Amino acid sequence: MKNFFKKFVAVATMATMLLTTAACGGSQEAPADGGADAAVVDSVQKIKDRGVLKVGVKVDVPKFGYKNTSTGEVEGFEIDLAKKIAGEILGDESKIEVQAVTAKTRGPLLDNGEIDLVIATFTITEERKETYNFSDPYFTDGVAMLVKKDAGFTGFKDMDGATIGVAQSATSKDALSKAAEEIGITVNFSEFASYPELKAALDSGRIDVFSVDGAILAGYVDESSEILPDRFDPQEYGVASKKSNTDLAETVNKVVNDLKASGEMDTMLAKWELK
Amino acid sequence: MSEIFTFDNVRFLAQGLGMTIMIALITIVLSIFFGSILAIAKNYGNKFFSKLASAYIELFRCTPNLLWILAIRFMVPIPPLASGVLSFTLFTTAVVAEIIRGGLNSIPKGQFEGAASQGFTFVQTLWYIVLPQCFMKIVPSLLSQMITIIKDTSFLWAVAIEEFTGKSMILMGQLRTGGQVLCLFAVIAGVYFLLNFTLSCVVRKRQEKSAI
Amino acid sequence: MMFRAFMDGPFGPSKWMTLFSDFSEIFLIGFFTTLKVASLGLCLALVLGIVFGVFSTSNSKILRTIARVYVEIWQNTPLVIQIFFLYNGLPRFGLVWSQFVIGVIGVGLYHGAYISEVVRTGIEAIPKGQYEAAASQGFTYLQTMRYIILPQSIKIILPPLTNQALNLVKNTSVLAMIAGGDLMYHADSWSTYKLVYGPTYIVTGMLYFVICYPLSKLAERLEKKSKEDAPAPVGSDDAGKGGAEA
Repeated sequence: MKNFFKKFVAVATMATMLLTTAACGGSQEAPADGGADAAVVDSVQKIKDRGVLKVGVKVDVPKFGYKNTSTGEVEGFEIDLAKKIAGEILGDESKIEVQAVTAKTRGPLLDNGEIDLVIATFTITEERKETYNFSDPYFTDGVAMLVKKDAGFTGFKDMDGATIGVAQSATSKDALSKAAEEIGITVNFSEFASYPELKAALDSGRIDVFSVDGAILAGYVDESSEILPDRFDPQEYGVASKKSNTDLAETVNKVVNDLKASGEMDTMLAKWELK
Repeated sequence: MSEIFTFDNVRFLAQGLGMTIMIALITIVLSIFFGSILAIAKNYGNKFFSKLASAYIELFRCTPNLLWILAIRFMVPIPPLASGVLSFTLFTTAVVAEIIRGGLNSIPKGQFEGAASQGFTFVQTLWYIVLPQCFMKIVPSLLSQMITIIKDTSFLWAVAIEEFTGKSMILMGQLRTGGQVLCLFAVIAGVYFLLNFTLSCVVRKRQEKSAI
Repeated sequence: MMFRAFMDGPFGPSKWMTLFSDFSEIFLIGFFTTLKVASLGLCLALVLGIVFGVFSTSNSKILRTIARVYVEIWQNTPLVIQIFFLYNGLPRFGLVWSQFVIGVIGVGLYHGAYISEVVRTGIEAIPKGQYEAAASQGFTYLQTMRYIILPQSIKIILPPLTNQALNLVKNTSVLAMIAGGDLMYHADSWSTYKLVYGPTYIVTGMLYFVICYPLSKLAERLEKKSKEDAPAPVGSDDAGKGGAEA
């Protein structure tokens, strides 16, 4: 028994060491980034030198970022926005390299330098602003709820005891828990990695409500389901970049605001039937 | 049915299947290489290397694969495919090392003595005599491991690597009814089954042959 | 500069603080759900494994075919897809199970197929002559299995069985994909929400390790034992002692 315990401790220590080494491998880059040559390593110049802007986008959210199964290209409003930013930085809108991200992977991939920007229905929150730079919002939308027609819900007040499906990294969860508290009902939450999985769960009756931002939800309405008129805390999407890279954040913010001021943003949104 | 499986969508899925098979093949080749080193270190190495190899094997045996897939994707800035291959190689190496060790242990000790008396060095004995016999014996186990890898690549969707399951999840975004979703997944399951069943038939043939 | 980068980095102290303040409500709940799913799943897998393992060595062609079909289907399709079906497919046929039940049944069925193969190999290793001898003593097939064959096979079966138990624990992590409330789900959900993923994965890994490492050691010990004393008396309480340690 004693021997067993000793072995256990030995392997556990080894595991911790290995993991921390791996971990420090990750954070050692941070010192390099924040170090003396920060201006060179982590800036717009770095992207210019590389000649391509690496952007994390959704590949399973129609209209925002969806992989076209015929061409294999990712298409949507957020990809168009990424192209505009590439145009500003590199002078060529085609110089982007997109990579699929999920709610789970977008933060870490930004941290480890795999991508320069996240444009992936990323809602701006105070908490997230402490970890990443966000541009001013490029899209604003309230949290809405998709339900089965035959479930008989007329509004949020009917949903005492209901199970609400939300996407991981749940800002909609916060909005709804707050609203539920205000009107004095209790609701349960189930979190899923992607919207198609949420829709499948609604169809099979696993969840009573599929709740996400209205514009995304619109893509999932069918004959048997409807979007309730209730709207909750407006969600503002922003372009996220690494906290240390203020240079890039400023450039991105300028592009977003210029597009908004010139009215071009509205044209781009209209192209994807958003708003 | 015909709405889902248009020519383009089938081609899209086939690319995912190609990705799955490619990840599995690269992983098994790399794992056999590194697994052999680990197995030899654990079996014949000095105390230090033997302990080191054991610790590696224990570590990966005792933590979920999903965790390593996430950790590698988040800690190591390499492209998605490479990230998938790296994480799979890390934990498959531990499994393959144990398979190879099983093979090595089944070779009678006398062969080492016999080879030594013929003037073979230890490395020569391993390379020319022990390893070839060992690998002949473990082919079925390695093929079974291949099946496991093919199945487990479906975890990679958790980090948005577009292998077979991932491509189906993306395709699911186009589907509007629950019936279509199930239909899609029935087909996906069928394809996995056919691929793995073929492999498992080969495994059984080999096992029957080696039993005789 | 380096110090600041470390403080703000994914492994900075503030991240660890956040983690430990939520530790009990997030990780412990998940940890115990994982333990419960794994232990119930293992019971189911054992029952299925023994039943189908015995089926696949029986003389009846029908029973053998049933066992074969079960094993082939469950061993050759990904667990992720199986769980997805249980979760989203069954409700269409009026069966709505909770995630917990799906977890137990999902991993139980999946590893039941593997254990069935383990049991089959164990039974086949017993010389055929023993069946004839038992039959000549008036034993029925089931009695032969229960009193003669299975007790002997256990020595051969136990090491790979423990390995299956270990894999079963690890595989409960797929429940995270259907909002299963297990350790992985809580770790995932919490880390994407708080953006504290580095420490989260280390702690999660350690918690799985705490369950799996004793199992792994047990497997190793049983394997050594079954090699050393192959003809050892059946039903010795050594296995029991090892089990208590796990």
